[in-house]
Amino acid sequence: MRIMRLIAAAAALAALAYAELAQSQEGPILIGASIPLTGGVSTFGQHSRWGAELAVSEANAKGGVLGRKIEVDFQDNRCNPAEAVKSVTQMLSEKKYVAIFDGLCSSAALAIMPLVERAGVPFVVANASATSIAERSGVGGNKWTFKVNPTDLSMLDALVGWLDKEGKAGNIAFLGEDSDFGRAGSTGLETALKKRNLKLASVDFFQKGTADFTPVFTKIKARKPALFAIYAVDADFQNAMRQWYSMGGGVPLTGRVLVDQVPKEIMDSGFLDGTTSVQPYDPSVDTPGNKAFVEAFRKLHNVPPILVSFESYEAMKVLIDAIRRAGKADPAAIRDALATAKMPSMLGTVIEFDDHNLAHNNAIILTIKGGKVMVVGMSKT
Amino acid sequence: MDPGFYLQLLLNGIVIGCIYALIAMGLSLIFGVLEIVNFAHGEFYMLGAMLAYFLTMNLRLGYAATVLVVTASAVGLGYLLYEALLVSVQGGGFERSILLTLGLSMVLQNGAVFLFTTTPRMIETQQSYTNVVVGDLRVSLMRLLALGLAVLAFAALYLILYRTRVGKAMRGVAQSREAALMVGIDPRAVSRLAVAIGIGLSGLAGGALAPVYAVHPLMGASFVFKAFAIIILGGLGNIAGAAIAALSLGVLESVMGGFLPVVMVDALVFSSMIAMLLVRPQGLFGRGVRV
Amino acid sequence: MRAGATRAFLVLLVLAVLFALPRLTGNEYVLALGVSFAMFSVLASGLNLVYGYTGLLSFAQVGFFGIGGYTAALLVTERGWNLGWAATAGGALAALVGLVIGYSSLRLSRHAFAIVSLSFALLCMIVARDWVSLTRGAMGIPGLPVPTLGFMGREWRLSRPADFYYLLLGFAAAAHALMYLVVSSRLGRAMRAIRLNEPLAQSQGIDPLRYKLLALALSALLAGMVGGLFVFYLTIVDPSIFDFYYTETMLIMVILGGPGSFWGVLASSAVLAALPDLLRFTTDLRMVLYGAVLIAAMLLFPGGVAGWLARRRWQRWRSPRVSPS
Repeated sequence: MRIMRLIAAAAALAALAYAELAQSQEGPILIGASIPLTGGVSTFGQHSRWGAELAVSEANAKGGVLGRKIEVDFQDNRCNPAEAVKSVTQMLSEKKYVAIFDGLCSSAALAIMPLVERAGVPFVVANASATSIAERSGVGGNKWTFKVNPTDLSMLDALVGWLDKEGKAGNIAFLGEDSDFGRAGSTGLETALKKRNLKLASVDFFQKGTADFTPVFTKIKARKPALFAIYAVDADFQNAMRQWYSMGGGVPLTGRVLVDQVPKEIMDSGFLDGTTSVQPYDPSVDTPGNKAFVEAFRKLHNVPPILVSFESYEAMKVLIDAIRRAGKADPAAIRDALATAKMPSMLGTVIEFDDHNLAHNNAIILTIKGGKVMVVGMSKT
Repeated sequence: MDPGFYLQLLLNGIVIGCIYALIAMGLSLIFGVLEIVNFAHGEFYMLGAMLAYFLTMNLRLGYAATVLVVTASAVGLGYLLYEALLVSVQGGGFERSILLTLGLSMVLQNGAVFLFTTTPRMIETQQSYTNVVVGDLRVSLMRLLALGLAVLAFAALYLILYRTRVGKAMRGVAQSREAALMVGIDPRAVSRLAVAIGIGLSGLAGGALAPVYAVHPLMGASFVFKAFAIIILGGLGNIAGAAIAALSLGVLESVMGGFLPVVMVDALVFSSMIAMLLVRPQGLFGRGVRV
Repeated sequence: MRAGATRAFLVLLVLAVLFALPRLTGNEYVLALGVSFAMFSVLASGLNLVYGYTGLLSFAQVGFFGIGGYTAALLVTERGWNLGWAATAGGALAALVGLVIGYSSLRLSRHAFAIVSLSFALLCMIVARDWVSLTRGAMGIPGLPVPTLGFMGREWRLSRPADFYYLLLGFAAAAHALMYLVVSSRLGRAMRAIRLNEPLAQSQGIDPLRYKLLALALSALLAGMVGGLFVFYLTIVDPSIFDFYYTETMLIMVILGGPGSFWGVLASSAVLAALPDLLRFTTDLRMVLYGAVLIAAMLLFPGGVAGWLARRRWQRWRSPRVSPS
């Protein structure tokens, strides 16, 4: 028994020593990522991870960057700022990560921002929606944080502009999930409408995890709005769509409807025809870059990418591109390279950061016609 | 507001209320007979729904067959649960049973997330999108079927509790444990059956609702706290009280949700639970919480 | 007396090492773990006071924690208060709320209290998310400024993580000292008596309600204060501070350490605050493990590790050294 324990201990020590040794040599370039791998929004964390990993494996297949392979270390933050602080502090203290990636939830990203500033490591935000992230970055603020995905405010401005052209923006009812995502939606719509001297006809929120939307749908339908903006994701969105269908609908949908996740039957029936949605991404965008991306993603994971996967994919590509241009795996140099980024996006635009370290990629305006999703416009955010 | 609006709200509320009742009655039965608050009750609902998903989508079983298999499995699981875990903490104190079932809920919920991820799954069959329309009122077929199952379950429960000897024994134990013991009722057999039925009802609710709602490992969590509120309001241990409270809550939620922000309704539910406990601890109908 | 002196010496030694840690290592992660330990130990020991000593199962700790956090955040950002006063106010408000829910439900029964405490915690989450004008809703209050503490005429700006480490560790030490004084005094013995046999305790002239409320108020005060300090370390307070996950973790710490054992819970909170991160278990598996531990503890080890150690000591003391002939 004793001997066994000694052998096991010796083996463990040897393994540890080997790992240390391997690490100290010219190893891969390490990027740290903090995403919700568990908890209520883990589906998004999963897709963010898949998107980032695809970008990394594509770069590694071409020989990596600066002659070294890239490796991403994913840590769980459960969409909780306390966990995010703990996981990112750990990664930063190990001093081997050249950049921190994502955060995913706004509250997590906001909590990470002061940490990266103190440690002097760049932080690339791919998915968080809070406007305050960009407001606090760049000039006069946190110079280490860069936000690749557009703000809700700008996307909704584009949508409202579109709807207003068709004279439909005056009577929109809003239903959103009670989270930073949903609240950003209502404030974004209200701000965009105010600019045109309009306002939302009604505003309602539901708790995440609500299974039953029939009461609130009945209420909204009774008010007879011209458009219905719905901000729901994941299981809530699935439940909402099915229940909306069984109630007969009757009002065209708008907002950030997840048109790529509508159940096939509902889509095919033409029930949602007339929906207008704005998203930072849709799998049906017709550019060669996107087609290749969707196919590669599908082959690996058997499901098409969602917008979170795309956002992480492109944000990771931006980061990898910056590392290459920086010429060395030094966080400060990478930060400077990020500030001067000019990378082409799969949406046909060029990603570059403004003086608040915010990129202004195109928002895509989608509509559903004949049971199919169609891109009807792209708008700079 | 036209009457059609109110009627639709009322109809929605009755359907939701019956579904709450299915879950709450099982919880109430277990508490009444064993004095155990089953924190993991929502997880059995979730497991029932996940099993139903698997049976319908992977094995292509029909609706009736799925419901039967799910209910039977849940009843069996209930027996297992009692013999393996609950029998040892019974009578060992209220706190022990809460913590035990809390631990069980943590294992089941997180285990399910680990094994199946939180990606929601929808059952898609021929009838998933059929609606029943009467005038201005619409209800989806699957909801109506769930309502029917709930009514059947109530009827079956009533028959068991009031027309069989073992049912009478259960009611006796729920009313007064000491008296039941004195009369010679075997508490273990009665408790085992109560748990089996209680879990069975929860699983049945899962099986009935799997075609209606998205199926995912966290679906039980949102129901279970409401179920607690219901059994408190209805009177702990009073099964009929739980059913009435559940139905009223469903209707109230629906009707109020037609006018007020939905989130306010949730806050109201929990506040009422606290108020009820403080003002009238025996609930609206029943036996109070025993000291 | 000898054992007491040894123990006191050990405690001082450990404290000295802990406080010297930032000088010995520049590793910020170690400091983060220290902050996490300080926070959880105050929460768990408070819960131990209520559940382990007085015997009241309470789910309300996390509510007090969050109330303290939000109150302090709002007082500093909206009224420009000094952190020390803001955190104290947070703790005081939490204690007041604790007294209210305690007084109203404990008059009835412990069971009523357990359920009321649970709904209270759920209500806190709902209020934090939906009373947007007060709490800023789901977005929370981000960007909390670097706080300052007034200390005998001098100002201390907490701009480095090491500052928060010292602050929270210092607070945790003071909180535990206070709790230790309570549990080793007549108050503590009265609480234990109430848990073991309430009617008997009553017959001895102890008013159970008074002691239960005292335990509850003290634990709420400390939880609220540590919450007020912790949110400034995070620089953000949002509704996730009321997450049920904290309650589950606190419960595990108390159950594992042994309800009613002051040192047991302190030790288990140290282990559980640091170990999971070091082991890099995914949170799902970790929670499954916690759940399994909870189940095992309820079935086999109701006294936790401390209880098991105590029982072994008794058994050894009792076992006959002379074999029967």
